[in-house]
Parts: sequence; structure tokens; C-alpha cells
Amino acid sequence: MSTFGKVPGYGLAMGMVHSLVRFFQPKVTVQYPEEVQEISPHHRGRLLLLYDEAGNLKCETCFQCAAACPIEIIDMGGVDTKNRYHVHWGPPEQYAERREESALRRSGRNVPDRVFNAWLPIDLGPLERILVANDYDPRRLLAILEATQAEYGHLPVAAIQHISHATGAWYSEIYGIATSYPNLAFEPGKVAEIGLCRCTTCTVLGGGRIRDALVDVLGTDVGGVTMDGAVRFVAVECGGDNGGEPLVTLDGQPQPGMTADKARTLAESLRAGAARAGTA
Amino acid sequence: MSVLTRPWNRLTLAGKIILPALLLLVLLTVLLLVGWLTGIIPGLLDIGAQIVNDNIDIVRFVLAVTAILLFTVPTAFVIIFMELKIIAFINSRIGPNRTGPWGTLASVFAGFKVLAKEDFTPTGADAPVFTLAPIVTYLAVVLGLLVIPFAPGLVGLDMNIGLLYFFAVSGLSVVGLMMGGWSSFNKYSLLGGLRAAAQVISYELPLLLAPVGVIMLAGTLSLNQIVMNQAGWFWDWYVFQQPLAFIVFFIAATAEGNRTPFDLTEADSEIVAGFATEYSGMRFGFFFFAEYVNVFILSALTVVLFFGGWNAPIDPRPILDFLHISFSPAVDLAGMGIWLLWTLVIGIPIVVLVLGLIVWMLKSSWSFLKSLVVGFVLFNVLAVAIVGIWAFLSFEVVVGLFWFTAKVFTFAFIFVWMRGTLPRVRIDQLMSFAWKWLIEIALLNIFVTAGAILLVQELQRR
Repeated sequence: MSTFGKVPGYGLAMGMVHSLVRFFQPKVTVQYPEEVQEISPHHRGRLLLLYDEAGNLKCETCFQCAAACPIEIIDMGGVDTKNRYHVHWGPPEQYAERREESALRRSGRNVPDRVFNAWLPIDLGPLERILVANDYDPRRLLAILEATQAEYGHLPVAAIQHISHATGAWYSEIYGIATSYPNLAFEPGKVAEIGLCRCTTCTVLGGGRIRDALVDVLGTDVGGVTMDGAVRFVAVECGGDNGGEPLVTLDGQPQPGMTADKARTLAESLRAGAARAGTA
Repeated sequence: MSVLTRPWNRLTLAGKIILPALLLLVLLTVLLLVGWLTGIIPGLLDIGAQIVNDNIDIVRFVLAVTAILLFTVPTAFVIIFMELKIIAFINSRIGPNRTGPWGTLASVFAGFKVLAKEDFTPTGADAPVFTLAPIVTYLAVVLGLLVIPFAPGLVGLDMNIGLLYFFAVSGLSVVGLMMGGWSSFNKYSLLGGLRAAAQVISYELPLLLAPVGVIMLAGTLSLNQIVMNQAGWFWDWYVFQQPLAFIVFFIAATAEGNRTPFDLTEADSEIVAGFATEYSGMRFGFFFFAEYVNVFILSALTVVLFFGGWNAPIDPRPILDFLHISFSPAVDLAGMGIWLLWTLVIGIPIVVLVLGLIVWMLKSSWSFLKSLVVGFVLFNVLAVAIVGIWAFLSFEVVVGLFWFTAKVFTFAFIFVWMRGTLPRVRIDQLMSFAWKWLIEIALLNIFVTAGAILLVQELQRR
């Protein structure tokens, strides 16, 4: 290619050769009535609504087909069998959640009860402060969401609903924006907890440098959570029992022999380990 | 009236056909006998023969044109079928396979379909011009075929200016396209017609200039003579002396025949179907046929000018002489006497029976009658093959026709292959390619050829 690529007509010749090769290759056509292809077990053919002998629609609008649809193409809407109520699978902004649920159910995993989760008591105080700082402005949604994630470690349904109520942005809009950013999580992941004693002794023994390094890596000061929700940076108390070096804990376990460089490496590896695959 | 209508109505369909035919036969026989006995018919025949003898050139011309006209129809069918099948194969499809064996009758039935369709003239169209346009296009193509030599001695009209005549006549086809485009009262048709005019006029130049080298080498414009000049082995063909001319000619011929990648005239994805948008029925059929006959003609002209026409690529005689093989397939039918009759009467049924038995043994689930029918078909295939081989060995015309057809259909295949591969070019690319490259290359080829001829003559003189 590199040798002959510049020769005029090379591309034409290669194209002709290609089509000639195709000419002699076996053909893919299946002669349908005589020859029936093996059909995938997933195949459901064309979806039809059936009518009974009296010409009435047999569908009971139970929504089970929509919930069970393996390829999630069934959408339901219309009038019930007695022509009384307008029925629909659900509000369009919740389709994504419902389909996610059905996918989870099919795969055998636990289905989070989002209605229940929405009423999980979370402290709305910090969220309210974040919203006030952002002036309840739906155009600053990303900033609000990132701050919320930093505050709660993930985005609880209740928090998103509160943001929706407070800013006027649709729940689905907030959800959609949040799904676009890999650092925003909906599930409480395993949060590593780095603790640092901030007493005077530990600070004098090198705690200040360790703190600077950790703030540099984690992007948050003591009392905060990293943006990706992987590491929580908390204050611990050594109580004067630091053994001649600053007390650093990882998930409550003291990490002896810690220096600023080691702390940096530790924090980096924790964040890297929490990174989800495929979300660069 | 019921005296006649009642028995007539009682007849079956076959009877309604056979009975009038029988009556007609009786009537004609009586008339012939009476005419012969009174001396009227021999006199009429004499007068007819006299008229034919006096106008033998016109009769020859009319016969040749009729034969060529009749020849174009099956040719177009074959090339249309080739196109359907080859493009299908290139697309990894099977293509037509329902009508006739391997779908061979698909194009024929498409032709019948076109015949059965309504022949529609749009409101606002210029009706006479609209009707004449396909005729002009088709006639231009058919008249071009008149000078193509098919085999030694098998040429419609051996003109000494054959090539000039060919280009003059085939250039007329663009007039038909323009007429169709102009008279359709449709912007797409008009665009298609104008594109056709621009394209064909531009590509006429390289198409004419490219064979000039061949003409200088051959020293004649007669296509028959050009073919005879290329006799011998395949390296005597002009393509090896004029490769540049061949390339230019082939590209220009592709454009001249409005074939992909230069099919901007009909460009179905851009301007619907170009000049043929408003055409339906057999008038469209004529355009369609003209295109495919054109493929045949351009392939034929390429073969005649550059690939030795009806000459075989190898000369088998020296090889056969070297191997001391001599084979004379001449059959003395008259000398066989009564044995010829026995062969025909007894030999054929015996061969059919033997073939049927073989089929029956291989396919014992079939009834014997079915095997016998298959045996008869096999016998026919065998007989045609044997007669074909005998004719190939005995007659020069058959040999020439064989090689000519093989070469022409090779080029028709290449045309179809190109259509299955290459995308359509843009109109400005098309134009600039003709004017900036092809014409210059063709002119260069002329000068180089002329210089080479002069050089050779100078060397030979010394």
C-alpha cells in the first residue's frame, strides 16, 4: 500500500480486485420458502396486539410485557379496555429508571427500591447550603451535582429530587446530565477513608506536609470527599499516642511510617482503584 | 347466423385455432396450384427475381439491417441478464433465479413487462419529438453495429470508411437523448439530456483521437481490414502496440456508453433517471435496450480495434503440425447413403434410450418415462455440443464467431464489473478528466505513433 498507494489508479484497481473476489465468494442469500434459517431464541417477530372474537382488544394493560421486554422496546400507552382511563407505563422521564429496573430484575440482581430510597432520610442541610451558594440556578446544575457528590459521596435519589424541586429542573434532565459525567455516581460505592491527626504534635512531626500532599491529590481538604467519591478525608485524634510520627489511618487502621510521598502514593492508588472501567 | 355461430361456439380453443388454419391451408394450396398451372406465379417470381437482381445492393443493405436489428434484441437480453447476475454476485447475492434455468429468462420477461406497460406521454410534452427520441437513439446504435465484423465474411457492410461511419452514426445517439430530455417537459429530463450532450460531445474527442494511432498503423479505416491486419498470435494485436490508445479508448467508450462511473446522464440517485424520467412502456424499453446494445457495440469495437477481432489468440496449426496431429472433420453425408437414414432412424432412439436408462439407474426413484424425457434432453445437449464442435473444427466463420463473441462478452463483463464496483464521478471531474487528461494523452499517442512509424520507415529504407 505504501509503495503503490500514490500510483494513479491503484485505488480503482484494488476496488476492482475486491469486487472480483466478492464475485467468486459464496453468496449469503437464503432462499426463504425452500430454506429456513435458524432463528435466534430471542426472536419475537413482529409485536401485535390481539383481538378477541368480539373484536375487543385482549390487552389488559397490565404492563407486564413492558416490564419483561428483553430488548426494552415495548412502550405502552392509550386507553384501558373499558375506555375509561388513559393509561401509560409511566411518566416518560422515568422510562430510563424502569427499564434499568427490568434489566436488573432479568439479570437476577437486587432491584433498588427507588421510591423507598427517595425517602431515605438524608440530611438536606448541606444540600440546601450548596443550592443557596448556587442561587437555585438550574444552569449551574453541574456545579450543584459535583458539590452534592463531594458532600454525600454519591447522588442519592432524595438529593436529586430535592434539587429538582428546588431548581425546577426535571428529574430526568438532572439524571441525564449526571449520567453523562463518569465522576458522578448514583450508588454509594465503597468509600475509602483517610484519616489524619491534626494535633500540634503530629503537625510538627510532618503532618502539615502530609496534609498538603493529600489535599493536592484528593482535591479536597479535611472533612471532604473526592470528586469521584472514592476517598473521604477525615480528621482523627491520636490522643498523644502517635509514637513519634504523624498519625495517618486508612479505614481506621493506623499506617505507620507515613511520609508526604507515601501519602501521595497511597491516595493516588486509592483513587485509581476506584476508577470505573471505560470512563476516562 | 346461428347456423355458423353455434358450431363455432362448440369448438374448443385449440379447435378455434386449428380449423381456420386448416381452411387457410386448403385455400392457399388451391390458389398455388391454380396459379402455377396458369403460369401466373412463375411469372411473378421471375419479375421478383429481376427486381432483386437490379437492386442487389439495397436488398443486401435491408437484409443486413434487418438481421442486425433482430440480432440486437437477444444480445440486449443477454447483457441485461449478465448485468443482473454479475452485480448480484458482486453484492454477494444470488440474483435472478426464478424465471428459467438460473433466472436466464428474467430479462426476457422484463422485456415483456415493458411491452405490456402503458405508453404514456406527459401533458406539455412535445409529442412527435418525444416519440422520435428513443427511435433515434436506438437506430443510431443499431446502425453502428452494421460495420462491425463478426467473423470472416460475416459483416453487415464492409465499408472502406467503416470506423468513420461508426463514429458518425453512433454520435447521433446523443441527439436522441437530447430530444428525449428536451421534449419531456421535465427539469430532470432536461438536465439529463444536457448532461448527456455535454458528456458525449466531450468524450467523443478522445474516443475519436485514440484509434488514430491504430488507423495509422493499419493504414485503413475499414474495420474488416483492421481485424485482418491483426491476424496471427495474440501479440500481433494492436493493444500491445497502442496500450495508451487502448486505455484512453476504453475510458472514453465507458463515458460514451453512459456506463458507470460515467453514467451521469441517467444518475438515478441524482436526477431520477435523467432523460428517461418521463418515459414509460416500450419507448423507455428502447432507451434501455439502446444502452445495453451500446455496451455490446463498444465492447465489439474495442475488440475489433485492439484485440484482434475474430482472430484466435493462438494459431493452433504450427502446434498441431509439430505434434503431427491432423484431423479432418469433414463428413461426407451424401456418401453415407442408406446408412445415414439408419443412423437417424435407429441411432437416435437408441442413444436416447441408453441415456434414459443411465439416468434411471442413477435416479431409481423417478418413473422411467421421466428418465426417458431427461435422457432426451441430455441427448439434445450432447448433439448440440457435438455439432458445435464439428462446426468449430470445420468452418472458419464459426471459429471467428466463437472468438469474437468470447472477447466481446469478456469486455461486456468488464463493463458490468466496473458498474458493480466504481462510484459515479462528479460532473466537473468528468469534464476536466476528458479535457485535461484524455485528449492530451490521445494527442501524445498520435504524435508518438507517427514518430515511431516514420522512424521505422527510415530504418527500413537504409
